[in-house]
Amino acid sequence: MMIALMIVSIGAIMYRVGTYYRQEQWEEYITLVEHVRLGTIRLVEISLANYTASGNNSTLKDNLDQWQNDLRKAYPGYGVTLTYNLADGTNINYFQGLASHWNETVSYSAANATFALNITSVGLEGYKFTATAFLSLTVINTTTNEITVAVTEEDGMPITNLKKDNFQVVGPNIISVTSSYDQNYTLVYTIKCDGNIPAQVTVRVWDQRGIMVIAKK
Amino acid sequence: MTRNTKGQMRVIETILASFIIFSALTFVNIFAVLPSSPKYEISDLEKMGHNALHDLDDQRLLSRFVYNETEWGELALALTIFLPPDVYFDLSIYDVQGNRINQYFPIRYGAPDKVFATSNSTASVSYIIPGQQAEYNPRILVLQLVRG
Repeated sequence: MMIALMIVSIGAIMYRVGTYYRQEQWEEYITLVEHVRLGTIRLVEISLANYTASGNNSTLKDNLDQWQNDLRKAYPGYGVTLTYNLADGTNINYFQGLASHWNETVSYSAANATFALNITSVGLEGYKFTATAFLSLTVINTTTNEITVAVTEEDGMPITNLKKDNFQVVGPNIISVTSSYDQNYTLVYTIKCDGNIPAQVTVRVWDQRGIMVIAKK
Repeated sequence: MTRNTKGQMRVIETILASFIIFSALTFVNIFAVLPSSPKYEISDLEKMGHNALHDLDDQRLLSRFVYNETEWGELALALTIFLPPDVYFDLSIYDVQGNRINQYFPIRYGAPDKVFATSNSTASVSYIIPGQQAEYNPRILVLQLVRG
């Protein structure tokens, strides 16, 4: 009885010690992985914003090359290595991970890259994740002085926080921008202008990340 | 006579069993990381620091605060809200060349000569952000934390 009690007690204590140690290891590297993942997604968004402003389609590749080195500087001793694969082709017609399809009724800007992360200090190898950035602008309808548009981001989610400063119409000035519910698009923006809207109207939108899209009706 | 011998053996067995249990517990205690130990304290502070920076970044607030000097006061306030009241911090912002950007504008909560100099459990968290809007211009944040 005594021996049995002794074995059970020691077993329970050893189990607690062992699981505690494993839990700490897990938490340590999962935090670092999440930092790298979120930072890389932000980098893809920055690169797309830069591409839509400058037209430089090597922006994402150049930034990622620098990001690989800067990660090592930020986390010395961890052995962080990030490799990437930029999307090319596909249905969105990416080139070096970037794409823009502008001056159409439905226009968009997009970026896509897949990554593999190694952290040698904790034995992590080949952790894969994808970073995408997407902004779409659809011109739904125009009247004499109003334009109705829908703006969506990744996964077709409508963007809800756009103001007058986020839009530009070529020709007339914008007086106000209001948002409302729509059965098909969930959320639409109505852009009210101070003059007559031309038949071939061009609308620009910038989201809070700085990504731009130009659409035409 | 036989009964008496058996009784003695039971006493010896009990003493031996107690000795083995005591030895095992002492041995296990060497490896145990108790909540009061400095190792646990630093690990706990690191987790809090990581979570605070990550949550701010996830809400797209971190880059807005870091790249606008006028909002560094807001950054200190936001960290104060995210961290427990008994945790003091000092945030340093560096560029990738290692130059400290906020040298003349400390982002901290708690007097450094009192809480940081006297504490023997200071945690340090590194965090990198790539840039803001369309510009790649990384900043490395080093957040030091102590419990008051």
